Amino acid sequence: MANLSVNICGVTLKNPVIGASGTFGFGREFNELYDIGQVGGVSTKGLTLEERAGNPVPRIAESRGVILNAVGLQNPGVEHFIQCDLDWLKSTGTCVIANVAGKTLDDYYNICKRLDGLVDMIELNISCPNVKSGGMAFGIRPETVEEVTRVAKSGAKNTPLIVKLSPNVESIAANAQAAERGGADCISLINTLTGMAIDIERRKPIIANNTGGVSGAGIKPIAVRMVYEASQAVKIPVIGMGGITCAEDAIEFLMAGATAVQVGTANFTDPLAMPKIIQGLNDWCDKHGVENVSELTGTLQLNGK
Amino acid sequence: MKDYIATIVKNEKIAENIYAVTFDVGEDVAVRAGQFGDIALGGTRLLRRPIAVCKAEKNLVTFCYQLRGEGTRELKELGAGTRLNVLMPLGNGFYVEENEKKVALVGGGVGVFPLISVLRAYGGAKEISAYIGYRNAAAVCGTEEFEKANKFVAVTDDGSYGEKMNAVQAFEKDLANNRPDVVLACGPTPMLRALKAVTDKAGLACYVSLEERMGCGIGACLVCVCDKTDGKKARVCKDGPVFNANDVLL
Repeated sequence: MANLSVNICGVTLKNPVIGASGTFGFGREFNELYDIGQVGGVSTKGLTLEERAGNPVPRIAESRGVILNAVGLQNPGVEHFIQCDLDWLKSTGTCVIANVAGKTLDDYYNICKRLDGLVDMIELNISCPNVKSGGMAFGIRPETVEEVTRVAKSGAKNTPLIVKLSPNVESIAANAQAAERGGADCISLINTLTGMAIDIERRKPIIANNTGGVSGAGIKPIAVRMVYEASQAVKIPVIGMGGITCAEDAIEFLMAGATAVQVGTANFTDPLAMPKIIQGLNDWCDKHGVENVSELTGTLQLNGK
Repeated sequence: MKDYIATIVKNEKIAENIYAVTFDVGEDVAVRAGQFGDIALGGTRLLRRPIAVCKAEKNLVTFCYQLRGEGTRELKELGAGTRLNVLMPLGNGFYVEENEKKVALVGGGVGVFPLISVLRAYGGAKEISAYIGYRNAAAVCGTEEFEKANKFVAVTDDGSYGEKMNAVQAFEKDLANNRPDVVLACGPTPMLRALKAVTDKAGLACYVSLEERMGCGIGACLVCVCDKTDGKKARVCKDGPVFNANDVLL
């Protein structure tokens, strides 16, 4: 049995596998299939100060090897989460990461302040491609990444802050450094890539929002490259995600520089994906004589270097 | 709810563009009328296909599906012995209350199959009338099941099989002589909307099974929502797919 536990900003996760925001709700539904206490962490559905209704349907489409979604941050609001879901989610024993989004800097400050000390970590969504105001707008340029991070961190004084980066940017390294300068304790990437899928019979996009965030197995090489570039650019820990389907995928991200990983779309393809990945990580480590999974982080050796 | 490793026993065309696939799921499975399964096609198909259960007998589960896109076209090519993951049973399903003795089933298109599961669950115990609309004679299927109802009216859009009308018109025409206690329906949204106008006018309880593109299929991702009359959203996969027609905006 390998030691799968990892430490991120002083928070110990029993393993480096985290349910990605938006694919896992607040954990209750997946807990009907398996004990979610066995996963390293759960990043909640993106929370906003007030309840949000989200986008019109259809909100999802498929293309070979990937999916596109545009849910538009439908959520019951942070108070509802605190009242109805937080205690239960904590009681499962998983690490609770509250994913938060806002329209304004004040929104980010207030929601971080409200959750400060209540959850294990806060993940800042500044890269949702599916809502018009805020979100994505903060995540594109280094200046605004730094600013929103600083404001959010001033609200989340006592809780490690993860800044989730968008891949739809000029330089992922520059944005990673901007988050670090703004006071982020950790960065996570990549959020979805903006895409479109067309119903050729109707000559219309399948998704009501026209564009959607592309995720799933097909985006993995892009995500691995970006995780490598970002982790080279910062000293704070990195959580990697993008198309992880099996343990071997997760190991690629760890080697590229991630301390932990998030699993999103694979939960749709196989609702038992995360327990299987955790088991697979253990098996791989045992087979390769790796005692601590944390030893894998950043061990990539580039060709010709 | 369980992710079954299911083996295809039979996968065949039953009408124009309609196929029936029967799986051996390896153990006896209890499925309520109107519930669905989420079928994993594997390979590059990352989304499962949510399809209503038509029939569940012991370890054998039958789904009927219409060829819609690449996924269903791949599914129809799969032969006996192919193993797929099927997550089921999902959703709430249809309920018929104790005091509801007479049940009307109104279905159109691919929506007729969940209604077969109602007939199988409540046939004999309830007096069931089925009003089923097809596009044309080539699309007619499931009649051997619907013949077991106390009354079966099949109609087509072009009059090539039964009278030329739709399922709602067939139901409405019979309403004065054969008033049900509850109406259960599945079909295209315009059909459900027309039906609700009729049941509202007649003061009848009506439950509809909705369809929407789904993500997780278990209520976590909030992809397949519908609008409720109270302004809230409901998850078709978890809170539905069956809703009181008064509670949702059609």
